[in-house]
Amino acid sequence: MSSGALFWLLVFGLAALVFFGIALVVTIRGVSDLRDFLGK
Amino acid sequence: MNFGTIDWVLTIAYLLASVALGIWARRYVENLAGYMVAGRKVKISLGIATFVATELGTVTYVYYGELGYVAGFSGFIIGILAMIAYTLVGRTGFIIENLRRLRVMTIPEFYELRYSRRIRLLGGIILFLGGVLNMGIFLKFDGIFLSEVMGFGPGALAVIMTIMVVIVVVYTILGGMFSIVITDFMQFVVLAFGMLVATIAVLIRVDLGSISAAVSNTLGAAGVDPFANPRFGWTFVLWIFVSSLAAGALWQPGASKALASESPKVAKKVFFWTGLTFAGRAMIPMFWGVAALAFFGPGLSSAAAMPRLLGAIVPPGFLGLLVAGMLAASMSTYSAYLLAWSSVLTRDVIACARPEDFPEKTTVAITRFVAGVIGAFLLVFGLWYRIPDTAFQYLYVTGAMYTSGALGCVAAGMYWRKANNVGAYASLIMGAAAPLGFLLLEKSREVLPAWLSFITDVNIAGILSFVLAALGMIVGSLASQRNSPPKQLTYLE
Repeated sequence: MSSGALFWLLVFGLAALVFFGIALVVTIRGVSDLRDFLGK
Repeated sequence: MNFGTIDWVLTIAYLLASVALGIWARRYVENLAGYMVAGRKVKISLGIATFVATELGTVTYVYYGELGYVAGFSGFIIGILAMIAYTLVGRTGFIIENLRRLRVMTIPEFYELRYSRRIRLLGGIILFLGGVLNMGIFLKFDGIFLSEVMGFGPGALAVIMTIMVVIVVVYTILGGMFSIVITDFMQFVVLAFGMLVATIAVLIRVDLGSISAAVSNTLGAAGVDPFANPRFGWTFVLWIFVSSLAAGALWQPGASKALASESPKVAKKVFFWTGLTFAGRAMIPMFWGVAALAFFGPGLSSAAAMPRLLGAIVPPGFLGLLVAGMLAASMSTYSAYLLAWSSVLTRDVIACARPEDFPEKTTVAITRFVAGVIGAFLLVFGLWYRIPDTAFQYLYVTGAMYTSGALGCVAAGMYWRKANNVGAYASLIMGAAAPLGFLLLEKSREVLPAWLSFITDVNIAGILSFVLAALGMIVGSLASQRNSPPKQLTYLE
């Protein structure tokens, strides 16, 4: 594997981890936000 | 074709749930602020979900997938640029914090507060035209994606797309931003899951070594170095960064999430955390595109390669989840765009052509009608327009028609006391000129004189629009301080 490809694959891995990590947290915490949003 | 009965059940169940939820939410709409900015009570997590869902449509997957297929890893730079730009906006509150403090509902409203009603009208027209042209190609790309993944011909697809647009128009018309926020949350969860399914399927079926080899053999250095790739280079990088910064702060569908936030502080946090997801938003579909290059080799239709890969490797059952995820992504984007552009046309164009605003109820009624008309336009325009260059660059150049002038007017209006009406007019008109020139002349580049051919380079047209808009604002304002004294702002929060 070329060093250029390896570099971008590592960057991709990090970006995907951040994306799915934030998606997980937002899904869990968003339920309570949604309850507040509809409750007021 | 892997699309089976279980996939159909999942897709239809998802569509029905969207309709039910969207229509149910209309009970929360009590007034204009409720309809357009959900009563300004959106908290951080909900704000992030609705923002990400708005900014991720099937068209996003297709144009990024296309870039991955034709440019390899080089395009990944776009994700990094977008992430830096959006997190910067979130961290500093650049523009969005003050817009939220002013309690405006659309960006052109700012033009009236800081400049004049006529500038609001001009800004509203440019924003509306740029926005609707930008949105015009979404359906075409959704069609490409779904036909490759589901394996249907154009007839069946037209029916699916029409049903989807009708559903979105109905719930957006009825529930406005309330429906959008609620459905966006569900759509965010579904689309993130769909993306996870697709990414895992790609990682299982296409090994990383073959991806690296395909990029190296097909594209050479241009596949890993954005500055060695003729499609990109420094002009492109500069344009995309400035454009992402401007779009981050000023693109109405996205900015409306800041305007709907509970407070200016929440708006900043929503932008910061959403900004962090933007590297993945670009790189994940691009990675699927690069994998399609390894899987099929070069030579396929660039827009169809990535969806064809997913259609071939995602197993039945999961394919239904993926399609539901893509429909979710599209619907959340359409609904936000429909509300954004119908609000702008109603409040900033139709109402501004009169001396006074309409009453709230009339504004909501006209906005609903306009949303229906835009939905019909989408179906027609999406079928016949031939898209120049890659979709990615088309979207950025139509966006630049508005964002360049808006950046000049709003940034200068907030942070430069000398900004005045003449500067605002010059900025809006000069900012729209270069992208408009590109769109009009791009198809007849063979007959253009040599000195004018630069305008058919999408990257140059894009960056030029920002330079012209800034020049227009600075020169126009400085040259007319006596005749047109600047007006100052009063913040409400």
